[in-house]
Amino acid sequence: MEETLAIFIASTLRLAMPLILAASGELVSERAGVLNLSLEGMMLTAAFFGALGSWATGNPVLGICCAVIAALAVATVQALLSVHLRANQLVVGIGFNILALGATTLLYRIIFGGLSREEIPGLPKLDIPGLSDLPFIGTAFLQQSVFVYVGLAFVGLIWLMLRYTAFGLAVRAVGDEPRSADKAGIPVLRVRYLAILITGFMAGLAGSFLSIADINTFTENMTNGAGYLALAGVIFGGWNIGRTIGACLLFGAATALQFQLPAMGINVPTAFLLMLPYLLALLAVAGVVGRLEPPTALTLPFQRGK
Amino acid sequence: MHGMPEGGVGQTAAAAMRPLLALESLGKRFGNLQALKDVALEFRAGEVHCLLGENGAGKSTLCNLIFGVYRPDEGVMRFAGKEWAPSGPAEALDSGIAMVHQHFSLVPRMTVVENLMLGQSRGILKRRQFAAMIRATAERFGFTLDPEAVVGELSVGERQRTEIVKCLMREPRLLVLDEPTAVLPPGEIGALLDICRRVADSGRAVILVTHKLAEIAKVADRVSVLRGGQVVAKAEMASADMGALVRAMVGREVKSLDVALAEAAGRTETRAGGDEKAPHALVCDGLGVRDRHGATRLDNFTLEIRAGEIVGLAGVEGNGQSELGMVLAGLLRPSAGRFFIGDTDLTAAGAAAVTAAGGGIVPEDRHAVACVTGMSVAENMYLNKLGQFTRFGLLRRKALNEAARGLMRNFDVRAAGPEAAFSGLSGGNQQKAVLARELTLSPLKALVAAQPTRGLDINAVEAVYRQIRAAANRGAGVLLISSELDELIAVADRIVVLYRGRLVGERPARASERGAIGALMSGQAA
Amino acid sequence: MSALVLALPDRRRIARLAIPLGVVITSLLVSLLLIAISGRSVPEAIEAFLDGAFGTAFAFGASVNRAVALSMVGLGFILAFRANLTNVGGEGQIAVGGIAATAVALHGHVADLPLGLAVLLPILAGTLAGAAWGGIAGLLKVRFGTNEVISTLLLGFIALLMVYWSVQSTALLRQPQTSSATLPESLPIPPLTRLPGLTPDPESPLHVGLIICLLAAVATAVVLQRSTFGLRLRAIGLNELAARRAGMPGGLLLMAALAIAGGFGGLAGAIMLQGEQYYLKTGFSSGYGFDGLVVGLLSRGSAIGVLAGALFFGFLRSGGISMEIMAGVPAALTLVIQGLIVIAVAGSVILIEKLDKEPR
Repeated sequence: MEETLAIFIASTLRLAMPLILAASGELVSERAGVLNLSLEGMMLTAAFFGALGSWATGNPVLGICCAVIAALAVATVQALLSVHLRANQLVVGIGFNILALGATTLLYRIIFGGLSREEIPGLPKLDIPGLSDLPFIGTAFLQQSVFVYVGLAFVGLIWLMLRYTAFGLAVRAVGDEPRSADKAGIPVLRVRYLAILITGFMAGLAGSFLSIADINTFTENMTNGAGYLALAGVIFGGWNIGRTIGACLLFGAATALQFQLPAMGINVPTAFLLMLPYLLALLAVAGVVGRLEPPTALTLPFQRGK
Repeated sequence: MHGMPEGGVGQTAAAAMRPLLALESLGKRFGNLQALKDVALEFRAGEVHCLLGENGAGKSTLCNLIFGVYRPDEGVMRFAGKEWAPSGPAEALDSGIAMVHQHFSLVPRMTVVENLMLGQSRGILKRRQFAAMIRATAERFGFTLDPEAVVGELSVGERQRTEIVKCLMREPRLLVLDEPTAVLPPGEIGALLDICRRVADSGRAVILVTHKLAEIAKVADRVSVLRGGQVVAKAEMASADMGALVRAMVGREVKSLDVALAEAAGRTETRAGGDEKAPHALVCDGLGVRDRHGATRLDNFTLEIRAGEIVGLAGVEGNGQSELGMVLAGLLRPSAGRFFIGDTDLTAAGAAAVTAAGGGIVPEDRHAVACVTGMSVAENMYLNKLGQFTRFGLLRRKALNEAARGLMRNFDVRAAGPEAAFSGLSGGNQQKAVLARELTLSPLKALVAAQPTRGLDINAVEAVYRQIRAAANRGAGVLLISSELDELIAVADRIVVLYRGRLVGERPARASERGAIGALMSGQAA
Repeated sequence: MSALVLALPDRRRIARLAIPLGVVITSLLVSLLLIAISGRSVPEAIEAFLDGAFGTAFAFGASVNRAVALSMVGLGFILAFRANLTNVGGEGQIAVGGIAATAVALHGHVADLPLGLAVLLPILAGTLAGAAWGGIAGLLKVRFGTNEVISTLLLGFIALLMVYWSVQSTALLRQPQTSSATLPESLPIPPLTRLPGLTPDPESPLHVGLIICLLAAVATAVVLQRSTFGLRLRAIGLNELAARRAGMPGGLLLMAALAIAGGFGGLAGAIMLQGEQYYLKTGFSSGYGFDGLVVGLLSRGSAIGVLAGALFFGFLRSGGISMEIMAGVPAALTLVIQGLIVIAVAGSVILIEKLDKEPR
């Protein structure tokens, strides 16, 4: 029983990890007033280029670098369009998701062609002698891919950044009252731009986690809605980083349960477990789980004097 | 006041020799409009200088020139002995000029200290240090401010103090406050003036912009009057004749108000007899409103208005008038009491029912509540009667435009045509269009007009008064809500006074009652 | 002088058309370049594309059918958008429409009903289900102030999983499991509940959904341009408080707008199911909801614009599939084109705005 629980915790953490990475990055953008529906596309792009880089160089770390660069490229264009050109953020996001799905599928077919399901060099799992072998703690927390711990460190940095730095303060001001922030001398557009790049960076990690740390291969449309789930996590988390991570863990647990429950002889429809995260997020925005208010200027472009 | 203010008399005396900021034949023009012309003024350290003028007199333009938002077309400014030609507000702030704008630029969801760190603290936030600075600054100028309070939960006065601290923490040499009293409830004005005094006493120059001299008279050292973009009077407050200053400020408008007063007097005499027997037009019975935080905004408001009667509701803004207006418009359900138009109970009936019962509403916030500026003139003039022009669900646009054209003629709404964009109309024409819509209800039993002449030019003001009187003469009971006492005296039959959400008294609408009503408005008598 | 003044609005109009057209042409050129780079024959690919899009009666019909579904979603989108509501939930509204239509067609005992009811009742069920799904977002907006972008998006995912659930469980809509190889799909709906063909040509998949779609487009155009309801939607979208002050039932209008948008999505789902697919399976809505949203947005509020955009996207999808089969160019290429177009058009909005601001 204890062993089952430990495995459950471990798989929850593993399944929640890409969501946590992507959601904490997206949180920064949304606090700055930009909604990136393109999160899904950024992750998929990163998953592909991460796999490609890792496969081509044989070095998973270089693969992750490729993934981050690719996701940053998407984020840059998203920022250019939605911040400077004041394009509709939702439309641009949907456009990128279509483009990313098309482009990664196309490139995958062209480059990997018949070699599909190619195994990709991945990252090692954590192995601290003595600790990782501990009966419960070890199995649950200390046998994950190294990527998990590095990723969590970045999430911690975001938390510190939002709470303790002038940039974090500027991000929050720009998402709530861009006009006031502008008057206080904050470069609104630049802050939003940077916030989107942070989202891109984290989405890059999230995407490469899927293809390099978790499954060690790329498959077409492998994100399969993980980006949207991360968006739901930000919403369910009420635009607060701690609660957003909590939401992602919950979503991860719901996914983990669909493997665990049948093994334990409990029959709950998989579809219900899959649906649960979205249902919870919906209940949350409907105010059933306390009142949640998105950043005031979310999805609204800023233009001085208007 | 306690303790000796900082700075010192010596510094003040020295600075008095030479002005901190001098304006020399300053001029500014926007297109065809000469906003400022040949303005020459001096502002001294250690003094509170009141800049008096009506809306549109050029006060804001002047402030914006000093603060570097605009550049002058003519003339020069000298600040601290050097020529002053700021490239923008940033340079003004860096050079020691700070401004408290009428509209605050705060982030409501952040705390006071976070708002103050915004743009000021770099790298890692120095939260504790800033909080201590806020406390120290506040204490130095004789007030308190909790750095950890969330701005959105503060009162207007506290938010204004946050803005003032934001300015003072930059240690400015000149502090400009644009209409600071307009947003304040009366109880908070005194505290603001104390702060201004202390800021001046600390050796800084303070410019107080207002159109209500009486409110700030006790703190000003010097007053200059702007009218039509020109300086028409300057005086030292100690020796000034307040009446003369106000006359200088309003210029010809005093005359027009006199005319209105005379007309008002004549009307009350001729109609005084019939009032008692006329049926009730609008009855408020113990109306109460609580806001989101549970604070009482309107308390046991009871008033009966008879057909043909004009009742003025006086009060400084923010004493419950807005809430009352929203309740009577059918947009806010009161937390207590009931109200009727004629015999119809409309307490929980909604806006459509108010209209159907013959309640015409002229809301105080024209753009937010009265009209849809993105639509046409005709659409706005019949916004509440679109059903009349609908057949099989389709809008008979030709009939709508034709009807609107007639209404525009009757109410003198000047626009290119019924299909013209409403947003292109002047404020006066927009208001006339709203009046036209609300006054043509049939039957019109009651009219609630809130601040109906705000921001309008004098011709439009007279047209609005004429229409309101005409409505009363046709048998509507009118509730005129205004913060301009002269307006109420000119138009109403009797005046009731609202103070902190409660009715505190009733007076006849006569110029001789001005003092008594003023006392009621400021809560001095009850 | 006066001629110049008169010419200005025309210039604007030309620019409005020229910008999207330029974007489309550029995207197509980019994709040709991609084909060339990937080492496939460009002429062959083009030929395959045209063949698949218009070449045969079957291809043409299939493209138009795709356009029908996209148009329905797009029309619903522009109606709600008139009230300043962004319906991102088209995908889910199609899905619930499909579920409801399948349920009624399979288990509603409608196949033997006269007067076309066998076809109409499932369509009605799909429409109502979609309307309810949109209406939930409306209710949340009115009752709790929930942003409809977020709620329709989440409701969309829930609906997609409802399809998955329905076809996974035999207690719901899954066909009886006779062997372990039984696919997780519903049974095919009875032939009598399927939409009748439009032409006598048995090769052509064109069905009466096209007629429904054209009627819907006309109705939408009339509602938006001529009806009092359309004007009220506009008022509520521009200034909700003023609209309510003028006696308009604000909450009802907002709910109606989202319910209608949802209803159009549900109708699209029913038409897709009864016109072409005939059985429900996971991924049934296959992106039509998002594409329809894009069509709606690109149309800038015009019903004709929706039809034009939908046709273009419909042909693009059909042609792409044919390119993959006949010329070995992955169909994903059409997704690339589509994505590029969406992004470029969205990015060019600022140019159009600038033109609008030019002095008249």
